[in-house]
Amino acid sequence: MDEKDDAQVASTDASATGFISPEPHSSMEEYYQLQNELLLLTLLLMVVTFISVWMAYSLNTSLNYLIGACSGVVYLKLLARSVAQLGRQKSKVGKNQLALFIGLIVIATQVEQLQIVPIFLGFLTYKAALIAYMFKALSTT
Amino acid sequence: MDPLVASASVIAASLAVGLAAIGPGIGQGNASGKAVEGIARQPEAEGKIRGTLLLTLAFMESLTIYGLVISLVLLFANPLA
Repeated sequence: MDEKDDAQVASTDASATGFISPEPHSSMEEYYQLQNELLLLTLLLMVVTFISVWMAYSLNTSLNYLIGACSGVVYLKLLARSVAQLGRQKSKVGKNQLALFIGLIVIATQVEQLQIVPIFLGFLTYKAALIAYMFKALSTT
Repeated sequence: MDPLVASASVIAASLAVGLAAIGPGIGQGNASGKAVEGIARQPEAEGKIRGTLLLTLAFMESLTIYGLVISLVLLFANPLA
């Protein structure tokens, strides 16, 4: 909701001063909506897959999957924030999200209770959500 | 671990990350540059352009991630050791 407020403040600033504001434009609503849709879709897939893995394998494997999926959600959030800041505060897309992934895999390899494959596949849940979103967008157009 | 396997793994890990980063790096740079150009030309389409950029960057960055996974597995959980 802060992002919407930022957009409103930016548009009022621009009208008051007469300059084009570098702050979020009102068309950014569409972007925030896309972000929310992707997040919801990822969470939905995460819950469905978590339950399926729990039933098919074990609670331990499904919890490993959940760790990866949660990291995937955080990764997507960081990437979205990085894209939102592109051309405003930053001139390039940040690499913080990759550091998160490297940390996750290194921890998965060092801790005995964790398994690499479920964590990695859990991390890729966001990508499945992206593909699902693309198919949904294609079917509506 | 056999020193030959260890050294080959380190070389393979560095090659995996390096080579996997080339293509997505060029692609992400091009896509981001064009997106910023597009926003400068049409500020009213900013949301749509940034949305498309987010989707394409997410797809492109996963290519780097595949190389990264291979190299991290080779370094920290080598199945050949």
